[in-house]
Amino acid sequence: MEPLDVELEEGELELPAEPMHLNMGPSHPAMHGTVRIVLELSGETIVKADVQIGYLHRGFEKMCERGTWAQVFPYVDRLNYVSPMLNNVGYALAVEKMCGLVVPDRCQWYRMALGELARISDHLTCDGAMAMELGAFTPFLWFIKAREMVWDLLEEETGARLTHSFGRIGGMASPPTPDFKGLCRAALPKILELVEEGERMLLKNRIFLERLENVGTISGADATALGWTGPCLRATGVPYDIRKAHPYLKYDEVDFDVPVGTKGDTLDRFLVRLGEIRQSKRIIEQVIEHMPDDGPVNVGDPHVILPEKNAVYTTIEATIQHFKLVMEGAKVPAGECYSYTEGGNGELGYYLVSDGSGTPYRVRIRPPCFQITGGLGKILEGRMLSDIVPTFGSLNMIGGECDH
Amino acid sequence: MPTFKLDGKTIPFEPGDTIIKAAYKQGIDIPHYCWHPGLSAPANCRMCLVEILPKAGQRPLSLDVLELDPKTGEYKVKQKPKLQPACYMAAAEGMEVAADTSEHVVRARHDVQEYLLLNHPVDCPICDQSGECSLQDYWLLHMKTQKRMQDEPVHKPKGVVFGPTIVYDGERCVMCTRCIRFMSEIAKDPVLDMRERGNLNEITVAPGRELDGHYTFMTEHVCPVGALTTKDFRFKARVWFLRTAPSVCQGCATGCNAHLDYDPRYNKAYRYRPRDNEAVNKYWMCDEGMLSYKEAHDGRVIDALVGGRVAPVVKALEEARSLFAGVAPTSVAIVLSARHSLEDNWAMRELGTVLLGSKNVYVSGRPDGYRDDILIHRDKNSNARGVQQIAPGARPLKALLDDVAASRITHVIALGADAPVDPAALGGAKLVVVAAHAGPLVPLAAVVLPATSWAEHAGTYVNAKGMRQVSEKALEPLGASKPAYKQIAELATALGYEPSWSKLSQIRSQLMGTAGADAPAPPGATVVA
Repeated sequence: MEPLDVELEEGELELPAEPMHLNMGPSHPAMHGTVRIVLELSGETIVKADVQIGYLHRGFEKMCERGTWAQVFPYVDRLNYVSPMLNNVGYALAVEKMCGLVVPDRCQWYRMALGELARISDHLTCDGAMAMELGAFTPFLWFIKAREMVWDLLEEETGARLTHSFGRIGGMASPPTPDFKGLCRAALPKILELVEEGERMLLKNRIFLERLENVGTISGADATALGWTGPCLRATGVPYDIRKAHPYLKYDEVDFDVPVGTKGDTLDRFLVRLGEIRQSKRIIEQVIEHMPDDGPVNVGDPHVILPEKNAVYTTIEATIQHFKLVMEGAKVPAGECYSYTEGGNGELGYYLVSDGSGTPYRVRIRPPCFQITGGLGKILEGRMLSDIVPTFGSLNMIGGECDH
Repeated sequence: MPTFKLDGKTIPFEPGDTIIKAAYKQGIDIPHYCWHPGLSAPANCRMCLVEILPKAGQRPLSLDVLELDPKTGEYKVKQKPKLQPACYMAAAEGMEVAADTSEHVVRARHDVQEYLLLNHPVDCPICDQSGECSLQDYWLLHMKTQKRMQDEPVHKPKGVVFGPTIVYDGERCVMCTRCIRFMSEIAKDPVLDMRERGNLNEITVAPGRELDGHYTFMTEHVCPVGALTTKDFRFKARVWFLRTAPSVCQGCATGCNAHLDYDPRYNKAYRYRPRDNEAVNKYWMCDEGMLSYKEAHDGRVIDALVGGRVAPVVKALEEARSLFAGVAPTSVAIVLSARHSLEDNWAMRELGTVLLGSKNVYVSGRPDGYRDDILIHRDKNSNARGVQQIAPGARPLKALLDDVAASRITHVIALGADAPVDPAALGGAKLVVVAAHAGPLVPLAAVVLPATSWAEHAGTYVNAKGMRQVSEKALEPLGASKPAYKQIAELATALGYEPSWSKLSQIRSQLMGTAGADAPAPPGATVVA
């Protein structure tokens, strides 16, 4: 080809000096369809990252104000939709706090076991998806295979794989199945095996490590100041875990460690999650030792607990009880409360206000993701464009709970 | 005022009041089925049992009872205070009554409720009372336990037609006898009675009779359970979907206070329930009144008509302007309506006498009808007294017919389409009608403008006793209808005048100066003139 015969002045082909604006998401696959980052780029370096949320906003808090207290359960399922059980239990505990109810021991153990299973599923999804977004598709399949085992177990217990709506005010929808303990004992080692296999493939991979190490670093002080909780905070070395700091259910009766990181970078967050999967396994193993095989799961209070279905169809007393609870809802004493548990991503808080009726007056949620996503822009600044994918992936931003 | 103590709370009472009535007046509900504030007390349901504490130094009134000791399986003799029915026990100065605070009362309520539910069918899902049923409410408040009886419940007749309006279900009945007492004490027609004994009890109609007359709906209204249902409301709606607005019955000049229950999802009225008002209707309404909620939908004018054909409101207003162009005020007549609210009539009077400058004011309404000594008034118009108050010189419609026949009047603007006499002679004049309901004036009118009914906008009505009562808005306006005072304001604008009102509050502040009450009554209240 002939050379260009136009004379060009020196520097005319240079890139313009002002930053380039780039829109990442919400349709970008690594943005999960739920977030948009407006970037100012200088070359490939991020000058400013403006994180814009709201793409999964459903007005969930407002929706809660028109049904009964029990009808909120399906809504909270859809907050952090990779660990719905933790949201269910968190909400149930909040309403029980207002009613002054304490569920029977068997239910407390059961809630812990199901919650920790959900946490394993949550962390597997986050770590697996992050690896996949970096091109490591095989470990993703390994992690998802392990997650399938968790979901099979949850399906066996609740009838649903993802959105269980299994929590109830004063108990659970049904008692543990007779096989629950056996299934846990069989599945947990297999899940761990898969995790270890996936982990081996990643943690010996130079490319993977280089893309995570010293990327998206945040100090413990900064993370605390931003209101971070959960694995992302613990990756900075702050050992704050609500299960340890403010134990609920029976967490003070089981042994487990709180894995922490040192640098607060993306790799630490990845590793903390893997560590927590192992701790969750430990917790579940202890829970199935402690959980009694019989005894009530639900409190015996007819004001909150639905009667048995066959009694509803055959006796007027149970029909009335069912009717009152379904049409008017359980009456929660007037007042307000804040109740918080360790969700998949950190402190999952519910602030509830009741006017004494069967319908919530206000359901306010404190989703862990909201604060964490708030720090995303800060930890991206100064990094390369390609660092967005692992950094964003390691925060496990879930639109369902973040957008509220 | 003398007082007694109920669970430590001081309750004032008037001599002669029973414990339950005194508590009811203070807004405290002692659970009951058979007691009703407007009826006599038979004390047969036993739900209102209370413990009356003995005076200091006095021996308590007690009974020997045998109680099973579940551990040893043997009966032991115990003492239990003799409980008294609060609906029958007259309150006395210094009396101390324990209800919620007495373990014996709590137990008695539980057991009474258990007995009442022994043979109750599993009907809540198909029962019209569901959602406002005392059995349901009291189960959760006072029983809370599951069924212990294993036997087949006693079966009784279901779906028994008592008369043209009421259907009876023997299995749901708790034998409170409120319906029997209502018919004999209030309706003065003792057509209902009870037959058989014990758990075979059932309500029955006197042989050779059916439950008819003018007060049959009230038997359903006083029924605390779903035993009596009206053919009109049966299976039509579930009550928890209904919203309610304080309303005033438009059936006659008594102006009974009512709750208008409607479903906001379909913008449809479903029923009337009497609203307690000691000064007007006490706790009752007549059948005709109870059914008159239907007039919110039936026989309505919801479109503008020009020459009897449906037209846009704008067209109708243009037509009215061309009809009234260059007409002398002396040949224009204004017809007020005894069936529209005070506010609507005020707007019409304002249009006629102030804006048009006409002195010819008439009043229309429905002809008189059946009356009795209980509630039903001869005058079938809800606001005849109101029209009299704001337009004392208004002449009857008959006078207008003569004036039209004599060509003294050539143009007429009428509120409401009713006429107590045959209005055919009005055909000789140019007639503009603003009406909520179709009536004899509509076919004669050159222009008809649609107005909302009482159910669709708030209005004040003056009953035969001269009480101003406010009926609140329930439904959204149907079709092209608007509140009559707004429609009249638009008509005034179309005729080239500037109306001085556009909002209800403006009219109400104007009305304050007129004869009758000093101020419009607050929602749901009654003001005695």
